[in-house]
Formats: sequence, structure tokens, C-alpha cells
Amino acid sequence: MKHQRIIVTDPTLRDGSHACSHQISVEQIRRYATAAEAAGVDYLEVGHGNGLGASSLQVGLSLVPEREMLATARACLKQTGLSVHVMPGFATAKREIANAIEVGVDLFRVGSHCTEADLTQRHISYVRNAGKEAWGVLMMTHMASKEVLLEESKKMQSYGAQGIMLMDSAGAAVPDDVKQKIGLLAEKLEVPVGFHAHNNLGLSVANSLAALEVGARILDGTARGFGAGAGNAPLELIVAAMQRLGYSCRADLYKVLDAGELAEELFAENLPVSNSITIVSGLAGVFSGFAKPVQRAAKQMGVDPRDVFVELGKRKVVGGQEDLILEVASELAARQKPVADGKPR
Amino acid sequence: MQPTPEKMKVAIVGTGNIGTDLLMKVLRSPWLECRLFAGRNLSSPGMMKADQMGVPVSGKGIQGIVQRRTEFDLVFDATSAEDHKRHAVILAELGLLAVDLTPAKVGKMCVPAVNLEECLEAQNVNMVSCGGQASIPLAFAIASVNQDIEYIETVSSIASRSAGPATRINLDEYLATTENGLAAFSRGTPTKAILNLNPAQPCVHMQTTVLAKIKNPDLEKTRAAVAAIVRKIQDYVPGYQLIVPPLIESNRLAVMVRVEGRGDYMPKYAGNLDIINCAAIAIAEAHARRNRP
Amino acid sequence: MKSRLEQVRSDTAAVLKGRTELLKPLAGTHLVITGGTGFLGTWLLELIAALNADYQFNTRVTIYSRSSPDFIRRHKHLGSHKEFRFLEGDIRFLTELPHETDYIIHAAALTDRRLFASNPTAVGEVNGLGTIRLLRAASLLENLRNLLLVSSGLVYGPQLLSVERINELYSSGFPCDSANAIYAESKRFAEAFAASFVSETKIPLVIARPFAFVGPYQSLELPWAVTDFIRDSLAGRPIKIMGDGSTVRSLMYASDFAYWTLAALVRGQTRQAYNIGSPEPVDLLSLARMITQHFTPPPDILTKVGQSGYETTRLVPCVDKACRELGVQLTVPLAEAIQKTINWHRLSES
Repeated sequence: MKHQRIIVTDPTLRDGSHACSHQISVEQIRRYATAAEAAGVDYLEVGHGNGLGASSLQVGLSLVPEREMLATARACLKQTGLSVHVMPGFATAKREIANAIEVGVDLFRVGSHCTEADLTQRHISYVRNAGKEAWGVLMMTHMASKEVLLEESKKMQSYGAQGIMLMDSAGAAVPDDVKQKIGLLAEKLEVPVGFHAHNNLGLSVANSLAALEVGARILDGTARGFGAGAGNAPLELIVAAMQRLGYSCRADLYKVLDAGELAEELFAENLPVSNSITIVSGLAGVFSGFAKPVQRAAKQMGVDPRDVFVELGKRKVVGGQEDLILEVASELAARQKPVADGKPR
Repeated sequence: MQPTPEKMKVAIVGTGNIGTDLLMKVLRSPWLECRLFAGRNLSSPGMMKADQMGVPVSGKGIQGIVQRRTEFDLVFDATSAEDHKRHAVILAELGLLAVDLTPAKVGKMCVPAVNLEECLEAQNVNMVSCGGQASIPLAFAIASVNQDIEYIETVSSIASRSAGPATRINLDEYLATTENGLAAFSRGTPTKAILNLNPAQPCVHMQTTVLAKIKNPDLEKTRAAVAAIVRKIQDYVPGYQLIVPPLIESNRLAVMVRVEGRGDYMPKYAGNLDIINCAAIAIAEAHARRNRP
Repeated sequence: MKSRLEQVRSDTAAVLKGRTELLKPLAGTHLVITGGTGFLGTWLLELIAALNADYQFNTRVTIYSRSSPDFIRRHKHLGSHKEFRFLEGDIRFLTELPHETDYIIHAAALTDRRLFASNPTAVGEVNGLGTIRLLRAASLLENLRNLLLVSSGLVYGPQLLSVERINELYSSGFPCDSANAIYAESKRFAEAFAASFVSETKIPLVIARPFAFVGPYQSLELPWAVTDFIRDSLAGRPIKIMGDGSTVRSLMYASDFAYWTLAALVRGQTRQAYNIGSPEPVDLLSLARMITQHFTPPPDILTKVGQSGYETTRLVPCVDKACRELGVQLTVPLAEAIQKTINWHRLSES
């Protein structure tokens, strides 16, 4: 093999939470986690779509309490590490992180909007002091230049992050963006750099490979792309493509393909598809996790969900600001009223 | 109201952005007079501004307050939670009223639209948090007309530029303080607070949403109660606006407000800093009114 | 014969002709210039006065300077301009800027080489502390669109003679432990502080690194080569060059300097630095000849009047980045710049 081994992280049971409005069941966790362990992914990420402590009216209540989700997965994993996503502002160190440490989480991926890395200082330190692994995650990375991303990831590195992930949370990136941003980080950071794709523009696999090409050492992929919006880079496709290109990883291709088959069965009703809404969402650069709540609100208020995405994009909303969906949808509805009344605008 | 020479005399300790904005509000108040602006950095921008405006200043922090204790009746504390815990003891010994803008949680929680009268009896009041000042009155209004409230949640989005290093490092404390405040004013309902920082340019104004899970919500009564309390808040926070009146969506009751700051010292987008200062001024002015026949 | 003011107006008209579109973002905005009464500040005001008069820009300017009263007396046409407001103050004690500020050019700094020698601590304090104060005040602004920090081409350290032009990535190590280092170090500190400030507060900020300039309003009292040469020629005295005249500089004309500065303000990208100056190298002997040819009889040029240890130096910027990213170009070649400057000094005040 010509390349260094790539770490494969699988957030199917975390990002996929968005795709089914956070209704992942204990049974689904148990069966998928068992398959992920067999497939040999390095880490399996589990929890609410927005991470620890995010089960809320704002972004959706989880079907299963956090502790139970994590404990269920924990019981199925041996070689594969258990990972969680952490967003300061939702999760606090002493409550959610301490709780997750107790359950036996191995890796904490502490994230913030791509320009707000300093919010993660306390949480990363807390995890490191507890003797656990912490990575820094920058989200919505299409909204910042590569220089800003470097500066922010250096902050996380200085807090003790042992890896840095760039998330294309809106699925708005094209391979050239990824090469520039990941390339600069891979060149300048001491810790391994990784990439997390979304498929809104159908580029999740291409973007993931572009990241590897310029030195990424970590890749996120989900079974059948089970994730927010148009989904993530499908795990089975990136593992296959990596094999084709000569990148090594711990995962076993056939077992990964099996996990994909299982996901198709387990999550049949909610597997992500590319449609006009996810495409507009990607173009507008809006957090992929907004897809379901936007559709719900648009339906209730009688407005075009695409218009809602365009307006949200104009307002530069960030992950966690789901309440603005209601505001935008009701505003659009109010604007439409005169038409409904038959009066000219 | 005609300003009279008999204003209530106050001091401010803490000369950062909050303290300086508070000073601007005291200077405008017809009821209050700032007799000392005390901090530890005589060359901080706030301190220099106060000095340029002719306000007496001290670089000795709380010791400056102690030295001139007879010159005022009320002290605003805009330092830090850790510092206020020490200051609280000193201020109590001196018999001075304390209005605490830090998350120290020493004094009685004060949200003027909800419990102003009760707070007048307390020697030390705590202004909870910016998100608390914006959301607690709404939660209180919702709780006053609905039974069987299972859960209340508040989400605030603020401009990234309005959150300084201290706010960022103390994010967890902010969430805990806001949750405690919400629970206390909504009959102990389980609560959750969420904070988002948005870096968009131009800067976004502070927005706060209150979401509630209620068995059989009475939307009409809730709307009336929310409208009434919003008017009450607007008496002391002029930039507080209801942008989404109570509605039911996906089995949750939602109401949303925006807070535009007055732009006294901090920019207008920093509604989060404005609202807590406006609330602090409201309680101080209430003391001043009560003491003057 | 034209007056000095007429020449300045024809210079501003020339540099703006066909090039105002690029500056359009300035229209209708409020600009604060700190140190707005120096050579650069005067030219910025001349350009904005022309933009307001001839292109309906309606740009309001607040000028913050220690020497505002003196400036208003000396430059009545600018001092009485209805869109310009002059504040008198020391940048070290600045606490607040007008709330409606859209743009800032921070040019307040001690730049007089004589002062570097006699009062270097003041240079460090004004340039360093002044920048801290200005940035703290800027962070309170709601509508700030961009802040231009006027730094210096000296932040790079001495240019190696083997390097033709220095670009924005150039750096040659130089010692910081001498009083001579204070000016360059104060500017380096200002830049590092600004970068830290951007990282922490996310305010928009761009850095300009000016090199050497020539033109009207530049005091001939300054002990720089070009001002020395022009002053001595005007006085009919010989030009004295310490070394053999092989030291190399480049000079940009004042109107270009001001235009490029405004372009960097409205077009510069946050966290980027841009060289501002002429990429056209000239050695001191050629420069002296270029100047003396405008006089009859031409003054003598004496070389090697200094010690034999006199060191040849070179300072010429590469300005490709500014040309490419700001969309600017040099409009006044050196020979014309020299001729215009000498002409201006010969003209009467009005």
C-alpha cells in the first residue's frame, strides 16, 4: 500500500439521527453497532444528530435517552471505538460529557461553527483531563476561508485536540475547495486532519477522495449515506474507492458492504435521497440537518420549502439555529397572504 | 418625570463593556447618579471614557467602593462571578444594596417584569443571565395560563462579536444559570437552555425562542399573557420585540423575540448585553422611586 | 501659472478619471481617518473632496489627529469642507469612535525619522498603544465594513541586495534589541496585535505596507533622500550623496498612494497585507540627475561625501498582489512624479 493507513469513522447512528427526525431505536443501534464492529470501522459515532445534550424541542427530541443509546452501542463494540459529537452550547462538560465518560465513550469530537473554535476550549480540556481522546470539529466549513479554518483548528490543537475534522455540514463544497482547505491544514497542523462530507451536490465521494489526495488521514462515512439532508459520503463507496486507489484502512470491504445492506433494511423508510430541496439547501449553504424541520414548517405554513432554504441561506444561519426556520416560514407565509386573498402584491 | 437634584446615588464596580454600558444608562437615568466608577485598570477604555465624562473613578476595584462607602446606597457589580462572591460579603457588611450582573448566583434572582416588587426587599439581587432576562418572562407568562407544562426550553442566538472571551469560556455556567432561572419562574418545570453564536456580518441581533411542551395548551390565553408581559418588558427594554407570537408547531408551543440594544456603549446588535443592563437599571430605579415620596 | 491647489486638483482629477467605480463602496459612507493630517491624510482628503464634488460620493470623513487645528488653518479648503469633521486628540487616549463609522483608515503614527532617534520611546508608545486603542474602539462599531491598518514596508527587515523586489511574504531577520529598531518593531507589533484582534473579535481588517513616496504636501524638512535633493536644488545648493549613489529606492507619487490606500480599504480582503509603492527601482545618483535636470544651471551632484563605510541598501516592493487583488495600477511614472513635485514647490500658495 502506498499510503499511510486511513482512520475511518462511522457516524451512521449520529448523523442518521437527522434523517429520521431523531427516532433511531435501541434495536437499530444494537444491530447496526454489531455490524460496524464486524466491519472494522475505527470509530462508531452514536447519539442525537446535533450531539450530546441536543435532544430538545429546538432540534428534535430523541426517541431513546442519550445514556441508553450510548450504553446499547457500548455493549456491541470491542475493537471499534465509541465516539460522540459534542457541541458546546448544547452539551455541558459536567453534565453530558461526564455522563458519556461514565458510559464508556472513547472519543469525543468537540465541534463548533467554523469560526467559533474558542467555544471548545473547556470541553476539549475536560475530555483530555479525563484521559479520553478528543478531536476538534469545525462545522459549516464552506462559510470560512482556508486561512480562518487553519487559525481556528490551531486553536483546537492548542486546547489539546488530537485530530481535526472539517465538516462540509451543508454539502456546499466542491473538490477544489476541499483540496485547498484540507491541503493547508494537512500541511500546517501537527495532528491528523479529516473530512466529513454531505451529498447535497452529489459530490460527497469526490470531495472525500479529494481530501485524501491532499493528505487527510481521517474520513467520515455512513452506511448508505444515512445522514442529514442528502446524506453523507456512503461508507461502502468510500471504502471501495479507497481500496481501488490503494489507501489502506482497518475496515473489511465485504463486511462494510454487509453493514450497508443492513442499513438499507434498518433505515429503509428514511434513507436520504437527492431531491430539489436538498439541492437548493446545498446551494444556499444551509446546515443539512435543517431538511426535515424545514419541510415540516413549510408544510404547516403553506410555503415553498425551497424559498425557506434560500432565505435561511441569506441570513447565514448556523447549525443549532433551527428556531429561525419558524420565523422565516411564518414571515414568508405572511408575505404570501395578499395573494391568497386574491389581492395584488 | 422632572429630574430632581435628589437622585439615588450609585456606584459601579467593573469597567468592562457591561460596566461602561451600564454607566451610560445611569447617566441618562432621571433617578440615578453615578458617584463612583471603580475597576482595576485605570487605562481601560471604559475607565478613560468615564474620566473624560467627569465621573469619579477609582482603580482600586472593590476597595475603592469600601473607601467611599458613605457616598452611595447601591452598587452594581459587573465584574465576574468569582469576584462577586467576595464582593457580596463586603457589600452586605457595608449595608449597601447590590445589583449583581455576574452569574455568581448569590442574591435573589431578579427579572423585573416578573418579580420587581419582591426584589425590593432583597439586599442583593442577581440578574440571572441575558438569555434569562429575555426568556423567563415569556416562560412565566406561558406558565401563568397553562396547566400541565411538561417541559420548557429556551434558545438564544447572539452575534459572535457580542460574546467576549469571558462569555465563551463560561458557556456552561451561562446554560446552567439560565436553566435554573427558567425552572424557578415556571413552577419547577424541567428546563433546558441552548446558546448559538452566529458570526454573520452584518451582526445579527439577539433572538430568543421559548419552546414548551404542554398537554393542552390554551393558545388564546397564552397569546394574551405573552402580549401583556412583552409590553411590561418594553417599559424598561425599549428594543424588546415579539417577532413570532405564540404558535403551535410539531406539538410544541413556540414564541420568539428579538432584542435590539440601545447602542449606548455596545453596538445595537448586542441586545444580550443591553437587556441585562436595562433590567439592572430597572431594579435600581425602582429602589430610587420607592425612597422618594 | 497655476496655483499649488490647482495642480493638486488636476492630479486628483487625473488619478480618479475612469477609476471611480472601484471606490464606489465608499459612496454614502462614514470614514474615520486617524492621523488624517499628515502627507497621506491630506491626499486622502483631497481625493475624497474630489469624489464628493465631481462624482456625488457624499462620503463623510471624521479626522482624528493631534494637529487638527493647525491643519484647518493651513488647508482652508479641506478644513472648511462640509463633509469633513476634525477632532483633536491623541490616539493614545482614544476611547470611542463615531457609532455610524463604516470604514477606518488607521494612519496615526509617529513616522519622523528624527524622532526615532531623539524620542524612540514615544514612537513605540504611540504606534503600539495607539493601535491597541483604535482597535478596541473599532470593536464596538456596529457597521464597520473594513479597517485599514497603515503599516510600513520596513516590517520586512532589510532587503537583500540580491532580491529585486520584496513581496508580502518576504522576511529577513533583523535584531530587535536596539533603539533603531523601534519604528519597524512598533509596526510589526501593530500588525501582530491586529492579527490577534481579528482572531479574537472577527472584525474586518486589512493591512497596507507603504514604501516611499513623493509629491505635493510632503515636507521638504524631512531628511529623506528625495526631499533633501529637491530642497537643495530649489535652494541652488549642490546635492550631496553620502555613498556612491548606488543605493536603490522606488518612489510612488502622492495621488497614486492615496488612491491605492482607498482601494485597499474598500477592496482588500480581511487578514491580507498589501504592499503599496512603486515597483520602479531608481538608484540615488539617477534620482539626483532626474531632479537636477529641472534646474538651470543644474546643481552639482557630489557623491561619496560620507564615510567609506557607507552601506548600499535597496528597498523596492513587488506590488503584483495589490495590482491583481485590488485592481490598481501606477498612473504617474517616476519622472513625471519628480517633475510634478518640483513644479508644485515652485508655485505660489494660491
